[in-house]
Amino acid sequence: MSYFFQLLISGIVVGSVYALAALGFVLIYKASRVINFAHGHFIAIGAFTAYALAVGLGLSVWIAAAFALVFTAVVGYFTERVFLKPLVGQPIISVIMVTIGLASVFGGLIHLTPYGSGNFSLPGFLPEGGVSFAGISVSYPQLLAVVFTAVFLAAFGWFFQRSTVGIAMRAVADDQMASMSLGVSVEKVFALAWAAAGVTAAAAGLIVGAISGLNLEGLVGIGLKVFPVVILGGLDSIPGAVVGGIIIGLLENLAAGYLDAYIPGGGTGDVFPFLVLLLVLWFKPHGLFGTEEIERV
Amino acid sequence: MKNKWTLWALAAVLAMGFAAAEKVHIMWSGAITGPTSDAGKYYAQGIEDYCSWANDTGYVSGVEFVCETRDDQYNNANTLRNFEEAVDRGDPVFLGYSTGGTLQLKPLVQEVGLPFIPASYHIGNIDPPDNDYIFLPIASYSEQVIAVLEYIAKVSPGAKVAMAIHPSPFGRAPVEDAKKAAKDLGIEIVEVQEMAKGLDYTATLKRFENKGVEYIVYQNVAGPVANMIKDAKRLGLGIKHAGAHYAGGPDLLRLAGDAAEGFLWVTAYYMPHEDNAAARFVKELGAKYGRPADTIESVHYPSGMLAAAIAIEAIKEAKDAGKKISSESVYQALLKMNWPNKLAVGPVTYSKDDHVGVDQLRVLEAKNGTFVPVTEPFSSELFRKVHYGK
Repeated sequence: MSYFFQLLISGIVVGSVYALAALGFVLIYKASRVINFAHGHFIAIGAFTAYALAVGLGLSVWIAAAFALVFTAVVGYFTERVFLKPLVGQPIISVIMVTIGLASVFGGLIHLTPYGSGNFSLPGFLPEGGVSFAGISVSYPQLLAVVFTAVFLAAFGWFFQRSTVGIAMRAVADDQMASMSLGVSVEKVFALAWAAAGVTAAAAGLIVGAISGLNLEGLVGIGLKVFPVVILGGLDSIPGAVVGGIIIGLLENLAAGYLDAYIPGGGTGDVFPFLVLLLVLWFKPHGLFGTEEIERV
Repeated sequence: MKNKWTLWALAAVLAMGFAAAEKVHIMWSGAITGPTSDAGKYYAQGIEDYCSWANDTGYVSGVEFVCETRDDQYNNANTLRNFEEAVDRGDPVFLGYSTGGTLQLKPLVQEVGLPFIPASYHIGNIDPPDNDYIFLPIASYSEQVIAVLEYIAKVSPGAKVAMAIHPSPFGRAPVEDAKKAAKDLGIEIVEVQEMAKGLDYTATLKRFENKGVEYIVYQNVAGPVANMIKDAKRLGLGIKHAGAHYAGGPDLLRLAGDAAEGFLWVTAYYMPHEDNAAARFVKELGAKYGRPADTIESVHYPSGMLAAAIAIEAIKEAKDAGKKISSESVYQALLKMNWPNKLAVGPVTYSKDDHVGVDQLRVLEAKNGTFVPVTEPFSSELFRKVHYGK
């Protein structure tokens, strides 16, 4: 039984990382209806900025992480100002192509730094080992992932329910024209959404770095894992991102634990979540918590 | 005045010498970015530095090497394009990289007859058909994995072993030979698991534990291996770890820290901390060409050097034999090569029937943050038995 519970706990932990990575993606979509294909590169920018500051300048990892969150938020803000703002009102395919192009540009820029290839480890900033109970073990970086996800979920929950800017973001997501007529600056809302997405992406990058080391391919790969998570949870739902992330993490672990032994070579953990995803979409095409949009024709 | 004329005469002679130097192009196509670039980056630097050293020391008289390291991003289509460019230019030898790229190019390499030295040590590269022009620098992945299984069988008779492999032809390369060898050695391979780079390997490790696995043998790159052995340590598992050339090395120690203690690793290269001519040569070149410590310590740096060194040595032998430098003369030189090189634990020897350069391997163990040899260089007889049936 402890085997099952270990898989369950590990799945929730991995799912929390996916959820954290997915939050930024959902924020951008929720505010501006833009699907950001460069999200994995934001994750990498945040992680490598923290690494560069911690190793290059000898800063404490916590201070380097704080700078990285701010820096990635600034990158997000200016990305929207420079590249996305001119596309307001343009066909969605144009916006998607721009974010795909941004992914290439960011990838190229990272390759110009010493971090484009190779594996890097953040200096140790958490105690060795982890927490064990009833035969179940969780490392400190994994615990930090769960805490970060919970904190960001609570913060964004409060932000969207209580703060003026958050309510303005929801209003813009609901109806841009109506929001503008009420004096909401749609441009400002879009830019802030990208900045907030930068913060969560950097946080996800730091957690991934602490758990499995820093590698450009791996970090960008986490950005791709976001897609099944947000499609399952609902593209515009923040609780959906968290639930979707945890479901995908759980399915990966349970499949790897129980099905791999029966499949030559294994690898069911990478496939099984997508089968479940297809099944869910069959019944709920907008995801578990996504807004159902009904178009009258 | 006399001195002035002497200087002019000397300058003229030197100028004539440079003018007469034949430019020989050697191209490498590999992953400086993209998947496996953590190895490819250092491999490329090794090639560049050995070429620079050969030029700076005038290693091959009358020849100036123009070595190009091209980033193919681990993409076979890019590798093909680079190879075709080398063929069109008339390069006498080509340095490759990935298993997939090499296997894909085999028929073309055979057709054009251009000697090809890959970074992939897949035995399928030099197995028939279309295997005349491909030369492995060191023993194959199959031989590496069998060598470590032989060591495991010696220290833990009847051990239960799982293999954790890269999900690619590179990862799958040694599996069949390893299964046959395990039967001969009286050890059991209970599972072969393909593993990509992931955030958590708890499920796989716990399953291995439930099956009584005592050793995991990796045919993978250092990043995923480091994460798996860190997870094993966190879970408090008593499983030991071992791996082939690309799975271990100083890169693994840097990534996995204490969790790498006791890791058994097979390679044909010396370690930078060893007190011998090979380690000194690698450090000397790294310092001369301004490479950082992580490059000099990476096993992929001397691996790249050896590939370039084999190509340059073959060109030297062709030149010394008075032949025009061409793919054919370099091929003939490779077939006769018996070169006590500066980089690996054994000589590079090739013949018509033997396309493996360095036949010897050593098993090393991670102790106190460094890899120390636990065997003398040896060649696996069992590999020849299970793969060639002789």
